[in-house]
Amino acid sequence: MAAAKEILTRRSVAATIRLTVPAGAARPAPPVGPALGQYRLNLMAFCKDFNARTQKFKPDTPMAVTITAYKDNSFEFTVKSPSVSWYIKKAAGVDKGSQRPGHLNVTTLSVRHVYEIAKVKQTDPFCQYMPLESICKSIIGTAKSMGIKIVKDLE
Amino acid sequence: MSAWNFIKHLPCNFYQKNLNLSRQILRPRRFPSISASLSTSSSSSCFPSATESLAAPYLSVRIHCPKHVVDPFSEALLCFGASSVAVDEDIEEDDEDSASGSSLASKEICIESIFPVNEEVKMCISQAANSIGLKEIPKFKVEMGDELDWITKNQELFQPVEIAERLWIVPEWTSPPVAEAVNIILNPGFAFGTGEHPTTKLCLLLLQSLIKGGEAFLDYGTGSGILAIAALKFGAASSVGVDIDPLAIKSASHNATLNNIPLEKLELHLPPSDDDSSSGREIPLRKEQFDVVIANILLNPVMELADHILSFAKPGATIGVSGILSEQLPKVTERYSPFLENISVATIDDWVCMSGTKKGGVY
Repeated sequence: MAAAKEILTRRSVAATIRLTVPAGAARPAPPVGPALGQYRLNLMAFCKDFNARTQKFKPDTPMAVTITAYKDNSFEFTVKSPSVSWYIKKAAGVDKGSQRPGHLNVTTLSVRHVYEIAKVKQTDPFCQYMPLESICKSIIGTAKSMGIKIVKDLE
Repeated sequence: MSAWNFIKHLPCNFYQKNLNLSRQILRPRRFPSISASLSTSSSSSCFPSATESLAAPYLSVRIHCPKHVVDPFSEALLCFGASSVAVDEDIEEDDEDSASGSSLASKEICIESIFPVNEEVKMCISQAANSIGLKEIPKFKVEMGDELDWITKNQELFQPVEIAERLWIVPEWTSPPVAEAVNIILNPGFAFGTGEHPTTKLCLLLLQSLIKGGEAFLDYGTGSGILAIAALKFGAASSVGVDIDPLAIKSASHNATLNNIPLEKLELHLPPSDDDSSSGREIPLRKEQFDVVIANILLNPVMELADHILSFAKPGATIGVSGILSEQLPKVTERYSPFLENISVATIDDWVCMSGTKKGGVY
């Protein structure tokens, strides 16, 4: 009944919105407000839903959200764990990557850090089928592009 | 300086052209002054101070990028400083329909991105393009974000909602569809609680079944004040609403006046601080003062504040807890069951409301 009607009306996608929102702290202010408001999505419903679903993460962890807005102003969204670069920055304790990656190294991380980050990333919906080794390789690549060296052991 | 005064009265197109021509004149610190003048000259909204604090200025950027790199490019933009990236799917459909074969439209897609005001947009876009291997920087246009535009759009969405037979929630700017029903007039502003959300509905229905007349009601996490006001309309003797957000308190007191509720019947304050000495402004809430207590917040606050919420209820009082997803219900039940009996759960969609009566005696 209602479900069939839903499928018919929700077929057409109006837009795909990508955002970074701190876990449990979505508010109808920029950037959430204008990004969703433009497509006439119910801001409060999204904030409440998002906050409820991210209660299990540490507060204020920046979560990557992808929202699919449909033409009838309804929406669906998926939440991903923070980007690899955020984890790397947090693990290394730096705020920004290097200004000249490849030439200038900001700091170093050990392979143990890489392994821990890879384990968290594997719980992401998109990485679940990737072998841990390839996730690690991709993390090392990202670290290199930020000017962070990976060494076997930190002294 | 006079050039800027001239510009703010012109439509956006001209503003953009000026931006492209004279990029070196742009400095981030100019933007706040222009946005302030924009917000005061636009149509008035009910909470001028609220809009100023929540409607912070932002940069809205339209980028034309090749279709095949849209996804990696959006992700890269987010990594390099964009607050949000939106890809319009509309344009794709139009291309398929029109067989005109205009090369520009079919190969490129328009991305709308939002950046914080003091972000270096050009550098961010070029870094993002570099990181995914694009040979040239995509064309883009920067505009000052029209903050009132999305606020008004959001308000337009709010329509009269029928919660149950003869119970309606009506926005301030609409007349009630059913005049004889119990109509609660609301302007939620930026606070939560328009009656549309399943949790609000669950709590309102619970309230309707509990309030017989003359009860003292506590709304913990009041938001727009909808539950507190509804309780009074159902016949409660007095309502108290508590929220940690001062904007919510403002919104709730505005709604109280909209519904002609005198101040003695509805008290609103920020949560009582841990030390008992009253700050003078906040009237401390007495323990065991209320017959009905409802907390519609989120899992973490509800778990942390459990002792608090329970302490304000009289023995034998009914306590309702919502804002919880059904998967989170076991945790909440476990936390509250030592103190509550006759626990019952109501569900709408994925949201639940748990209610029970407080055990008498020592808790």
